Amino acid sequence: MNYQDIKERVDYKTALAALALLAIGIVSVYSATYDARAAEIFHKQVLWVGVGILALVATALVPFRLLQLASYPAYFLSILMLVSVLILGKTVSGSMSWFSIGTLRLQPSEFSKITTVLALATYLARSDVSLRKMRDLGIAAGIVLLPVALVMMQPDTGTAFIFFGMFFPVLFWGGASRFTLVAIIAPVATAVAALFGTTPFLTAVLLFAVLIYLTKEHNIVAAAVFSLTVLVGVSVQFIYEGLRHYQQKRIATFLDPNADPLGAGYNILQSKVAIGSGGFFGKGFLHGTQTQLNFIPEQWTDFIFCVPGEEFGFLGAATVLLLFMALLIRGVTIGSIVKNRYGGFVAIGLTAIFATHIFLNIGMSIGLLPVIGVPLPFLSYGGSALLSAMTMVGILMNLYANRKEY
Amino acid sequence: MAQQDDIAIYGKRRTMYAVIALMFLFFFARLFQLQMFYSEEYGRKSEENSIRTIPKEPVRGYIFDRNGTLVVDNRPAFTVTIMPFEFDKSTIDYLSRLLSLDPEFIRERLRKGEAYSRFAPVKIKRDIDFKTLAALEENRDRLPGVDYQVESKRWYTTRALASHTLGYTKEISESQMKVQVEEYAPGDVVGSAGLEARYEPTLRGQKGAEFSTVNVRGQVIGRFDNGRNDIPAVEGNDLILTMDFGLQAFAESLMTGRRGAFVAVDPNDGGILAMVSKPDYELAAFSGVTPPEIWRSLNQDEAKPLFNRATLTRYPPGSTFKMLLAIAGLESGSITPSWRVNCGGSLRLGNKVFKDLHVHGSVDLVTAIQQSCNVYFYQTMLRTGLDAWSRYGSEFGFGRLTGIDIYEENPGLLPSTAYMDKRYGKNGWTRGFLPSLGIGQGEVGVTPLQMACYVAALATKGEYHQPHVARAIVTKSPHAVDTLTFGTRHIEVSANTWNIVREGMRRVVEEPGGTGGMARIPGIQSAGKTGTAQNTHGPDHAWYIGFAPFDNPRIAVAMLVENAGFGGTQAAPLAGLCIERYLKGRITRYDAPPVPRKQVPFPQALPPLHAVLQP
Repeated sequence: MNYQDIKERVDYKTALAALALLAIGIVSVYSATYDARAAEIFHKQVLWVGVGILALVATALVPFRLLQLASYPAYFLSILMLVSVLILGKTVSGSMSWFSIGTLRLQPSEFSKITTVLALATYLARSDVSLRKMRDLGIAAGIVLLPVALVMMQPDTGTAFIFFGMFFPVLFWGGASRFTLVAIIAPVATAVAALFGTTPFLTAVLLFAVLIYLTKEHNIVAAAVFSLTVLVGVSVQFIYEGLRHYQQKRIATFLDPNADPLGAGYNILQSKVAIGSGGFFGKGFLHGTQTQLNFIPEQWTDFIFCVPGEEFGFLGAATVLLLFMALLIRGVTIGSIVKNRYGGFVAIGLTAIFATHIFLNIGMSIGLLPVIGVPLPFLSYGGSALLSAMTMVGILMNLYANRKEY
Repeated sequence: MAQQDDIAIYGKRRTMYAVIALMFLFFFARLFQLQMFYSEEYGRKSEENSIRTIPKEPVRGYIFDRNGTLVVDNRPAFTVTIMPFEFDKSTIDYLSRLLSLDPEFIRERLRKGEAYSRFAPVKIKRDIDFKTLAALEENRDRLPGVDYQVESKRWYTTRALASHTLGYTKEISESQMKVQVEEYAPGDVVGSAGLEARYEPTLRGQKGAEFSTVNVRGQVIGRFDNGRNDIPAVEGNDLILTMDFGLQAFAESLMTGRRGAFVAVDPNDGGILAMVSKPDYELAAFSGVTPPEIWRSLNQDEAKPLFNRATLTRYPPGSTFKMLLAIAGLESGSITPSWRVNCGGSLRLGNKVFKDLHVHGSVDLVTAIQQSCNVYFYQTMLRTGLDAWSRYGSEFGFGRLTGIDIYEENPGLLPSTAYMDKRYGKNGWTRGFLPSLGIGQGEVGVTPLQMACYVAALATKGEYHQPHVARAIVTKSPHAVDTLTFGTRHIEVSANTWNIVREGMRRVVEEPGGTGGMARIPGIQSAGKTGTAQNTHGPDHAWYIGFAPFDNPRIAVAMLVENAGFGGTQAAPLAGLCIERYLKGRITRYDAPPVPRKQVPFPQALPPLHAVLQP
């Protein structure tokens, strides 16, 4: 095999982006745990990186057909795991989501994301399935909603968001009508807008009224969707009014961290201070005062982005962003060049998962989004998340290698 | 089959590229805003707004006795700390001279503290005096990172020591840290013996935290947000004991110069009234910092002052065990109250001769108890057998833990058929072992606490209460008194049996010819039993167990004086005085019997202390 062959078979661009992010991640976790906890956390993370690389190589080399054949069984297996974790899982920080295998703990919800994409892709790739048909659309939604319901029961809201963020692009890719897309987005967006107040709510209603009108859908169906949108928005406001004071406060800080700078908003403020104080060049490795003085609790998990932001400044943070961007662009490109329909859906679904993680996590770290606990792929501490991210890259590389097969 | 039309795909791909580009455009813009435009402002904030947490030690809960007397108090003590992050290691030598500490000790402490957290103060010396404090204060500038905290230390207010029962607090050990990482930091004080250990979670309280603003160099520049976010330490809960410290002090003074133990229990609920183990030690020596010399001398003292003789010894009970055998014999139908034995001063069994002190002649059960006739009980044991005896022994709490609320406790040894088979082999032991067991000799070991509970059950005709030292916990927020509950079991024995055995015990004290006459209390009828336990290592141990008043018992006691000789002369008078002190509040006899104090060398080999203290 010469160099040309390797280039033909191995998607080194995706691999390099992932490995570079992995390297930055290890350095960041080291810095965030540069203290007594290094032994406990950093060393474990290094171990997981090793396991992750093995998983990447394995999934990249597995025969493509086998992957396709395993899609449904893997999906049902992951559902089974989600159910059993509810029954016998260990409670970690208030939610039951772990399996213990010796000292290594696994989170089935991390893997159910991948298996759901595989199952969804298998279904949508069928020639008799069309997203223009109500029934097929319903089945596709069911494939996604089943794990979402189980994950919500843990309760793990962050992961539920990820499923939603994955589903929408896949529908778009699968050729769902504009009206379908709007009808899915409208109630959710209106509900969120309603929490911010009456003006955002009315703005959202107006916006969707125009969008629904533009889709030129049948009047009665359009009216039904529109009414549903308004109803959801109004009931959210009613529910909010009926909540107890502390529950309202919790939602308020969720939406506006500045309202409670020492409670829930504390992390976001400290995170902004960490990143902002990094400046252009950063404070230097292991010299970030915010990071080293442990101002952000458990920084090595969801707030890991602060570490490159503070210690390597704009240069470091921008590098991370560029690498993520390259990864996403590669993912979409792979989705478009794969000849196999199933492969296209898989690539888009996995890329959308990465994108949602990046969007929610970095958006939170830089103070643009509320605190939703999702890890940053490759950077955050956590074995299951790392393993699933590496598996996803492995699948993308597998698709690239087999892109010419139908 | 192929994906859809190439044109459609490329259109969608473009849309997706655009969405991704837009998302990252937003992110880049925001990063640019934070890190370029506002970096100075955030840089200043990161310098000012750095918050450090200083843990605040809670005040340990107080301990009161049954009459509400404060027996364990707290006093402030100054503890020197080092903040590893700020500390200048070149000042170690200077600091060690100032505190008269070994520089190696400081280095070791610092290393361990750093491993825990570089931003948590490491305690290097507790309970410094005011002179040292002043010297430290004067040289503050030369010693960056060196500070002191006000902590509380235990302060004992009464004449009584009650060392083994109250127990002491000690700096947490590394092995304890491994189990209790969540709540404790190195250098924290933790209850390590007696009630302090058993009720550690109750007494300890909750650590608080004070938030200070620190600059980039880690120096404190003020309180964060005017201290509005500080978490106040939560004071530990108080403990109310069942003990009477008047009686405790009295019993301790009586036993000064002796080795042994005394346990007094309220037979109606199992509450410990007094618990003495002699020799004892000053708890105050442990309250601040314990100098290693003191610790070493206590540990190496051949008299084992740290050893709780009231709950950890395993001495044969001697004749005090005869009531147990009487009950087993009567209840199993092996003997009757009117059954008589002719005591000729000894019993021959095979080629073994079992001795008695006197020739008692023909005696019945009540007389046999009163005069402590051995031959009568040799015969009774042979008739009753090991199984019935062992069953009732267990009912009365022998051979197992009483469940008292301190950790230091020994179950003792009560042989059963299973035990003997295991120890000597199925056919390796004979009836020849039985007579000795019947009079509480040989392979049977009890603690004074078990003896007190046994006699309490005799006093109440079978109500065996789990002994306990703490009666209630007083919680601070909300203020409430939680009464603790302990177990009770009923020992099924017929009323007739109780009456006979108790009558025998009454005669021991109250009638001429009884062995316990020296325990007699003017004006109060009491009952008891003496015991003289043979001991292969030296002179006999003197035992006395008893209760009073006879008709309505309010106190049950067990007195053990090691290597003192006859129970009737060495233990009974002391026990009688203690009972009188409790029931009357004072001693009314001015001609209280003088009890000769025999100083004898301590020959007993006791188990090593660490084996007992750290189970």
